[in-house]
Amino acid sequence: MSEQMKSLEFDVLVIGGGIAGGEAALNLANLNYKVLLVEKELSIGGKMIMLSKVFPTLDCAACITTPKISEIARHPNITIFTGAETRKITKIEEHHFEAIVLQKPRYVNVTDCTGCQLCEQACPVSVSDQYQYGLVGRKAVYIPFSIASPRAAAIDIENCTLCGACERVCPTQCIDFTQTEEEFLVTIKSIVVATGFDLFDPLKIPRYGYGTFKNVITSMQMERQLAPTRPYNTILRPGDGKMPDNIAYVLCTGSRDKSLGNPICSQICCMYSVKQAQLLMGALPMADITIYYLHIRAFGKGFNEFYAQAQDMGVEFVKGKVGKITEKENGNLILRYEDIEQGKVQEAEHDMVVLSVGVLPNQGISDAFENKKLELDPFNFINQADILASPAKTSIDGVFVAGTASGPMDIPDSILSGGAASAETTSYLRRALL
Amino acid sequence: MARINPEFTDELKKYGAFDPNACYNCGNCTAVCTLSDENNSFPRKMVRYSVLGLDSEIKASLDPWLCYYCGECSSTCPREADPGELMMSLRRWLIAKYDWTGLSGLLYKYLVASVSAFILLAVAVIWFGYYESFHLETIMHYGHYFEMGAISVVFLFILLPNIIHMWWLTTYKPGVKVPLSAYFRCLSDLLVHMFTQKRTLGCDDNQVRWFEHFVLVLGYLLLLFTTVFLDWFSSQSLFVIILGYIESVIIFVVTFDFIRRRIQKDQEISKHSHPSDWFFVIWLFLMGLSAFFVRLFVDLNILENNIWLYLVHLIILVQWALIIVPFGKWTHFLYRSFAIYFATLQQAAIKQNGKKS
Repeated sequence: MSEQMKSLEFDVLVIGGGIAGGEAALNLANLNYKVLLVEKELSIGGKMIMLSKVFPTLDCAACITTPKISEIARHPNITIFTGAETRKITKIEEHHFEAIVLQKPRYVNVTDCTGCQLCEQACPVSVSDQYQYGLVGRKAVYIPFSIASPRAAAIDIENCTLCGACERVCPTQCIDFTQTEEEFLVTIKSIVVATGFDLFDPLKIPRYGYGTFKNVITSMQMERQLAPTRPYNTILRPGDGKMPDNIAYVLCTGSRDKSLGNPICSQICCMYSVKQAQLLMGALPMADITIYYLHIRAFGKGFNEFYAQAQDMGVEFVKGKVGKITEKENGNLILRYEDIEQGKVQEAEHDMVVLSVGVLPNQGISDAFENKKLELDPFNFINQADILASPAKTSIDGVFVAGTASGPMDIPDSILSGGAASAETTSYLRRALL
Repeated sequence: MARINPEFTDELKKYGAFDPNACYNCGNCTAVCTLSDENNSFPRKMVRYSVLGLDSEIKASLDPWLCYYCGECSSTCPREADPGELMMSLRRWLIAKYDWTGLSGLLYKYLVASVSAFILLAVAVIWFGYYESFHLETIMHYGHYFEMGAISVVFLFILLPNIIHMWWLTTYKPGVKVPLSAYFRCLSDLLVHMFTQKRTLGCDDNQVRWFEHFVLVLGYLLLLFTTVFLDWFSSQSLFVIILGYIESVIIFVVTFDFIRRRIQKDQEISKHSHPSDWFFVIWLFLMGLSAFFVRLFVDLNILENNIWLYLVHLIILVQWALIIVPFGKWTHFLYRSFAIYFATLQQAAIKQNGKKS
């Protein structure tokens, strides 16, 4: 097998093409290092590219991400693999690693695809769109989302009926059902792990009714509804398409909860909920927004002012964890909670509930390391071996960590962390020459 | 002025509580509790009182008795502070505080004290048997008298004063002005809850447990009646004999299931067992079983040659009647129903006072 494997050589392998990995890759590429960026999704940009706006400045997330993404994509020193996975990483010696990168078939020749979307129109199969977090459907052949990079079609072979309709309409004949998995043996000098985070799956809290009650959605679904590339072009509750006018936020869904195995604070939910509340007040001027919180953690620069601004705008903040959600016949939801200020059980009716889901470690990358152990912290994030002196350092010399792979953090911190990882990688690579 | 007892949580740990200090006051426990309502919002208030050491507030509260321990609050507590078990230990602590003799507290806190008391009574019974030259008829005769005597003495001198003490702590001392007529009007609540424990049905997924418990209480009370007033062991009436058999079987079968659950810890409620819980279920099981066999031996005419069996039964009975009933977990039978009675009285008082103003 290994004889047939194509060999590639780079200076640095960056695993994960989100904002942290992208930042690290860009910095290293600008220093003239050859970088291989491996992304498991079909587009780079990570979670940030899906977001509406960022807190506390309310800048458009896509407007910051897309120029950066296109800079990464066009950089001569960066090679990008999307829809690819890194496996079997071996440290041969200092400044010498080997990894196997598995390129999954896209069934579309990316260089030839013009993104014309004729194939999408021809495809007869409709399935739930994971890039819109299930709010709308997509076809089995699809462009992941409008600002994806590369903006090229891909075929979801699991749902494809192999009818060939897309192949027939494609003007550039870029659809290729003969593609198979390809493995590459990559030799590198150093690795940056920027595998990001997973969102908490609220199905694990059956008493919130997510998945059963249609008008209970996650904060990421609301983020999509608020984004410039939003699927409905307005805010609608999924149950009946009604415009909501009384929206509740349930903070700490899956964070700071030992019973769910995640005892730590996710650091971003308070602020993104405050941000969404402000955006909703703009999108739906008549709507009431209530945020049920345990403690508002507005610790960053300008965060507390941002929180105060939401209060001034009329967002209601109620201290108390929501214990249970029940659904009424009309799709409205009853939230049961203890109003901590009064010490009394209360029930409140809302027509839409947003679960502010927390940040969980994206596990699995540590299993890819073969002869050295990439150690995890007690919360299963990648352990920062020397957090104060060298925050990007991991348990393996030459392997650095960037962004939320090391723990929950917001976008500015992720970019900072990506910068730190690139600087530490550079210093590691320079040592090879000394 | 509220008085703070800084050692309170340490004291509670002796009654079985785990780590109430872990609580970060999110109110999840109160919100998931199906029995909690606007008038009585618990358990977080009790957790807060415990953490702050406000023991006099807890003493004046009926909330611990209004919880029927479905365990939902504990299994969903984000801090794993185990509010359900805290409520349970507060009930143990309250049993100790209501008891004017102070013996309950001693037995709850120190296992050695409980075990010594059990041994002491066993020795006393054996000594009594020896004193009576192990003459079955005499021992059974006195055994029967003991039952009647123990019931009246324990009720008059321990349980009744303790219930009055509970009323004084929760209703009189906090200055609740209950109209006299309410005491009579609400009496039906007391009896209904005492004999049906129907409040348990408000808990989620508690139907099976409620039924078992209901049958057990019924079986226990009837067996008590059958042995004490119908003199089961010496009765010639076929109806009484069969009735006694059925009741004793109910007791040991149901308690066997309770013991099994406590060993398997498959539900939140059976996860934590304080020694007092073990004593309660095991002794009830042994009582049912030994009573069953005593009567069986009577019917087979072999008790005369196996007097040890009656002595064993008597030991269990004496330990039950003099330790577990007056000072142990048995009292929850009374306190639970009286707590609902007092709570209804307090509601009546609020209504009355609301009308006046």
